[in-house]
Order: sequence, then structure tokens, then C-alpha cells
Amino acid sequence: MGMLNNRMNLFVIIVGLLLFLLPFIYESRTLLILLTQIFIFAIFAMSYDLLLGYTGIVSFGHAMFFGIGAYSTGIILHRMESTIFTVLLSLLVGILLSLVISILVGFLTLRLKSHFFAMLTLAFASLFLVVAEKWRTLTYGNDGFTFPLPEFLRDRTYFYLVSLTFMIAIYFLLKRFTESPFGKVLVAIRENERRVESLGFHPLYYKVIASVVAGTTASISGSLYVLSLRFVNTSVFTMEMTLDALLMTIIGGVGTLIGPIIGSGLIEFAHHLLTDLASISPIFERWIIFFGILYILTVIFFPLGIVGTIRNRISGKGKKEKYAKKTVAG
Amino acid sequence: MEQIVNLLINGLATGMLIFLLAAGLTLIFGLMDVLNFAHGGFFAWGAYSGIWFYGVTGQYVLAILFAMFVGLVLGALTEKLIIKPVYGNHIQQILITLGFMLVLSELLKVIWGPNQLPAHAPEWLSGSWLIGDIIIIKYRVFIIVVGLIAFFTIHFILKKTRIGLIVRAGVMNKEMVEAMGIHIQKIFMLVFMVGASLAALSGLLLAPYSGVIYAEMGMDFAILAFIVVVIGGMGSFTGSLLAAILVGLSGSFMAYYVSELSIAVNMLLMILVLIFRPQGLFYGKG
Amino acid sequence: MEVLLKTENLETFIGQYHILQGVTFEAIRGEVTVLLGRNGAGKTTTLRTILGLSPPSRGKVFFKQKEIQELPTYKTANLGIGYVPEDQGIFPYLTVEEHFKIATKGKGDKVNERIETTLALFPDLKQFWRKQAGVLSGGQKQMLAIARAYINYNELLMIDEPSKGLAPIVVEKVMETLERMKGETTIILVEQNYLMAEYLGDRFYIIDDGKTVLSGEMKELKEHEEWRKKYLGIS
Repeated sequence: MGMLNNRMNLFVIIVGLLLFLLPFIYESRTLLILLTQIFIFAIFAMSYDLLLGYTGIVSFGHAMFFGIGAYSTGIILHRMESTIFTVLLSLLVGILLSLVISILVGFLTLRLKSHFFAMLTLAFASLFLVVAEKWRTLTYGNDGFTFPLPEFLRDRTYFYLVSLTFMIAIYFLLKRFTESPFGKVLVAIRENERRVESLGFHPLYYKVIASVVAGTTASISGSLYVLSLRFVNTSVFTMEMTLDALLMTIIGGVGTLIGPIIGSGLIEFAHHLLTDLASISPIFERWIIFFGILYILTVIFFPLGIVGTIRNRISGKGKKEKYAKKTVAG
Repeated sequence: MEQIVNLLINGLATGMLIFLLAAGLTLIFGLMDVLNFAHGGFFAWGAYSGIWFYGVTGQYVLAILFAMFVGLVLGALTEKLIIKPVYGNHIQQILITLGFMLVLSELLKVIWGPNQLPAHAPEWLSGSWLIGDIIIIKYRVFIIVVGLIAFFTIHFILKKTRIGLIVRAGVMNKEMVEAMGIHIQKIFMLVFMVGASLAALSGLLLAPYSGVIYAEMGMDFAILAFIVVVIGGMGSFTGSLLAAILVGLSGSFMAYYVSELSIAVNMLLMILVLIFRPQGLFYGKG
Repeated sequence: MEVLLKTENLETFIGQYHILQGVTFEAIRGEVTVLLGRNGAGKTTTLRTILGLSPPSRGKVFFKQKEIQELPTYKTANLGIGYVPEDQGIFPYLTVEEHFKIATKGKGDKVNERIETTLALFPDLKQFWRKQAGVLSGGQKQMLAIARAYINYNELLMIDEPSKGLAPIVVEKVMETLERMKGETTIILVEQNYLMAEYLGDRFYIIDDGKTVLSGEMKELKEHEEWRKKYLGIS
């Protein structure tokens, strides 16, 4: 594992460097915007992976935290002067709100069985969506609102670099987190919760903290997302957002962190391509249907996703196979 | 007075629609331990296919039967292709049924376009009755009647037939049912199909009530059905009726007096039930 | 002596735990075969494996010389095997009558005739005919569970710890009933209660750590106190 790990780190650093250099070598506005989008969704998907892949819990309300970050940033920049200070403030507010809400929701729901948890998170997220739709004085409802960006973030290249930095930093932070003793307990919970409990750990606390880390990370991605659009509306709270994270994580590979990044790249790229194809046949407008089918097939046949399946091939089958089945089995 | 009667009828009508959706959900859960997140997809498919059929033939009653048939077929396919391969694995089930929900609603957009479509009640169900000075809208009464017919039919089947007996026993202890030599997998399939069919019926009934249909309607209503399933007690058929009426009525009265709070109140109720009485309010009522 | 059921080196995993690691035994027609062993030795899992509720990863099960370890549970049960699980497997919201009805195969008069015969053997159940089984006492539930397994005239009954959690006087009653059934049918009995095992059993097998380690006629076990001490922790 150590060797593989080092190689993986090296790989990430090299690819990261190449991506840093990209805007100075190859100038394409569309590509930059697309990659920025990929980085942002990669952060969101990684935060989801922490729940699904590492802790073995299925949340259908993760968009809730994405939306909290999005609206915190949107509202603050809309109401206050747009400076680097207010941008940072808005990120922080999003993180704090997500922290509080993930603790509250976590303690209420994480003690429940997986079905109920999935259902309740879905319901909570829909509650946030309703609030965002109805609290028009603050959110302008479904129509949403635009807001100004501080000078330095308006530059696409600059914003690209900022997003990339965020993604790489968060990747390494989360990696650190999952490889720490704490992260090991999370994986143990995923594998066999009762056993962890009988060893004297309190799974609920571990799960709540995992969901707090996931929630705050998602909030950061939400903030970055609306910064890239300079606009926010209720779509950030919708089920589709959670579904995006799910698709990216599952297709890329659960419990790997790098998988969600690859998943994000794949899906955003394909989305882009298929949208172009929409002029040929309207079926491509419904690009998501292909991913839905791919997703279902992945869950049935490759529950480890792209990264996990490849990793298994490399490190030989046998022992890992059993682990593979368990990852999604929970 | 008039207002109250109308709110009551609205609430009951909505309650019946939620009940039809929740009934399948609760039985499927009770029997197979599967929480089917694609259930709302059957609902939306019922609405679209039924309204399409009604548009082509002009026969509303036939359209209802058609929608229910579509539900049966979808249910059978879903059970075979989606649920069975991941049977016994909760997390995979949850993930896969949600993915299938996505595919179902995207397919609707592929076939009927992404925009919402209008839906009208047939002539003989339009308009209203005037009783004293109270106006009663016919279509809403129709929904209540259909809902009650469905309830009593299924109640009868559950209580008086051998299959019903097996389903009730299966909800309590499916291993034991199998150990008595009963092929419970077949019963799963049947219950899944009937559940999907009821969801489709609910979707079609809702269509003229709300006036429009759209691909995401399934998820919106499914959330209410989940709430009902939790409040009524997972696996409890009668419980789901009582809870659905409760949620329908509270929705209708809240919507009139403090509209912003209506979903919040139902959610709050669900959270309280999950925390203090996770087996549901009406568990054990069959 | 006809061997009705036979297992060969059964191995079963539950999750990652290797519960059965080689269970081999025979049940002879008309006899009561008792499976003994400490808690967690694998007795219950043996019964579940025979029925296919916890399918084996290795090994074979023969019923009337036919291999059945691959069959789904309902098919195995329909060969004529009745099962009384450790927790009795009662349906709490079904009435006693409904328990009889759901268990009885066939139609019409046959059903009524079987119900009559079974009730003759379990007369106490008659007075609770229309009561929900959930309100019955532990002993009554046990009787109901046994009656339910018996009603189809199954050739083999597998009964898991019928004395568990029952008062001594009730255990005696269960014993009497089982004794009356003896001879009419073949029984595999899992018991912790040694006295009951000794009283009813013709032949015994001791399962220890997932393996059958000792077997013989019941009276041999009666004579060998050191076996009982070693494997069952009783004297």
C-alpha cells in the first residue's frame, strides 16, 4: 500500500503541476471554464466520498451543504461590498453554518438505519429548497440573483488557479484525514459497525464528525460554484446536485478520493460534449440518462467504480475482492 | 363553514393520493426490506402514460386502467432488473433505486419532452355540486372514492385470501414463511407490481387535480409518501392510510392558514416519530 | 434402518465468520437425533444450513438420498421438512387459526382433516383459535410453532431448542407432546437442556467449534459423564 500511495501522491502532484501550467501554455477560455467546473465538482464529490466511500452512509441531502455555501457567498457578496475580505468571510460563514447544521442533523439522523437516514436527509434537503424558494426577500426565490465579484476573481485564469489550488489542498487534507487513526475507525464502521461498538468506540460520534467534515467541504464547493457563475438560484439545493455528486463518486470509485475527481472530470467533459451533440439529436439533451444507466450498471457490476476496479487489477485479486464487495455493501 | 368543508375535502383527496403512493412503498418495505426510491417514478409514469392515453382515446376510465397496467409492467421490470441483482444489500439498493428514479424521469422527458404538460378531467368529472351554499368539486370527491375503493379492495385481499395471509406473515417474518415451503420471491414480485400499479394510479389521479404534469412530480410526491410511511409504520397498510389522511389534512389546513409551514410541519412530525417512536404511530394495525 | 437425512462436511460462513467447519451426521427414520453442544457451537446454523437459510460454502446435504444443499429454502421445505426455529418464528399479529391455515398445504377437506388431527395433539391451542399469537404465553407459542411444523405430516421435523426460556413445568408439557409425536415422524432436535435430550433422544451428535466431534447412541452418553463434562460442561 505504501508504495502505491507514494506513487499516487507523485502522480497527483505531477498532474497538478501540469494543470497549473496549462493556462500559460494553451489558451482556451472554454477549456478553462470547463476545468474550473470540474475542480469545483471534484471537491463536492470528494466530500460525498467521505460519507459514502469511507463511512458507508448514503445521504440524499448533500446538496443542502452545497447550497448553504452557495447562498452564504451569494448573499454576502450581494449585500456587502465585494472584496477579497468579504469573499473569505462568505466562505467562512458557509463553513460555520454547515458545521452547525451538520452537527444538528447528524445527531438527529445518524443513529437511524440506512434507509431512514437516506430518506430523512432527502427530506431535510427538500426543506432547505422550500425555504430558499419562499424566503424571497433574501433569495429572490427561483429566479435567483447575480452579484459582483472582486476584481481579482473576475479573471478566468486567476479563478481557475484558485479552484485548482482548493481542489488539490482539499484532496491532500481529506487524504490525511482518511488515513489518520480517526479515518481508520470510519472505515471500520463501514465494514462492521457493531464490532467497532463492541471495541468501545462510539460510532455515532465518528459518523457525526465525518458528516461535519463532509458538510463543510461541500459548503466550500458551493461557494466556489456560485463564484464561478456570479449568480445563485435555488438549483443549488436540488436533488440533481446530490445526484451529480453520487454519479461522480460511484462512477469514479468510492472510497478512493481520486475516483470522485476522475468522475467529476468524466461527467463534466461528457456533459459538455453531449450538449454539443444536442444539435444533432435531441436525445443528447437528456445526457443524464446515459449516466443514469452507466451508474446503475456500475452499482451492479463494478461497485468499486473506475479507480477501485483498476486498483484491484493492479494489486491482484483474491484478498481485495472480498473487500471490494464490502465497500458498497456496508 | 364552507371553507372548512373544502379544506377537509382537499385534505382527504390529497391524503388518498399520498396513500396510494405510500401503500406500495410500505408493503414493499415491510416484505422485502427495500426502500424503493424509484417509487415516485412509477407515479410520474402513471400520470404521463395515462394522460397520453386519455388524449388519444378520450376514455378516462380506460386511461386509468392503462396507467395501472403501465405500472404493473414497470414494477415487474424494476423488480427483475433493478432490485433482484442487489437483493439483501441495503446500500446498493438505496443507490440503485435512486439511480433508476433518475432514468425513469429522464425517459419521460425523452418521450414527452422536457416541458410540463396540461391535464384535464373528463367532462363528467368536471365542475362541482352545490349543497346548501357549499360548493363541492366533483373531481376531488372522485379521488376520495377511488382511494377508498383501492383501500378496501386491498384490505379485503390482505385479510381474506391466502396470498394476503402470506403477505401479512411475510411482513412479520419472511424467513419463516419460506421455511414453510412458500416461494416468497414470487410474492415479492407480485407485491412490487401491485405497489407500482397503485403509484401509477395515484399519479394519473393527481394529474387533472393539479392541472399539469411534469417529470419531477414523482420525487416531490414521493417525499410526502416517505413521510407517511414513517409515520404510519413501515410495513403497515392501514397505518399508511391513517398517516396519509393525517398528512393530507394537515397539509391542506396548514397551506390555507400558514402556507409556508406546511411541509415543515409534516417533516417535523416525521422527525419526531423517528426519534420517539421509530416503529411508527400505527404499527401493529396490520 | 433407513437414513432419512445426512450431511457431509458442511461448512458455512456467516458474514466473515466461519461458523460450520465440518458437520457430518445422519438422522435415521423414526428416530430422534439430538444435536448437542455449547452455546455458539453451530447447532442452530446446522439446521439453517440444511434448510438453505444459511447456505453452505462446502459440503453436502442428502434427504432421502437426494442432494439438496443447492435447493432454495422453499423447495427444501416442500420435500417434507418442518422447522421450528429457536425464536419460534411466530407471526405476532396473525391468529392461531391463521397460523394453521398458512401452514397447511392442499385444499378443502384435507386441510380441515389435518387441522383436526393436529389439534387433537395440541388441544390447548383450540381455546386461542381466534386470538393473535402475539398474546400467547411462551409455552403456548412453542406449541403453536411445533403444531405448525407438524401439520403437513412432514417426514422430518427440525426443532431448535424447544425448552428455551420456558418454565420447567411447561418444558415437561412440551416434552410430552414431542414424545407423542415420536414414532410418527423423524425429529432432529437441538437442545441445551440435557435432561430433555436424554429423555427424548435415540442418538446424539456433539458439535464443538463448528465440527461434529462425537456421536453415538443416547445411552452411551448417559454412561459417559466425562464426555458430558468435556463437551457440554455438565455432569
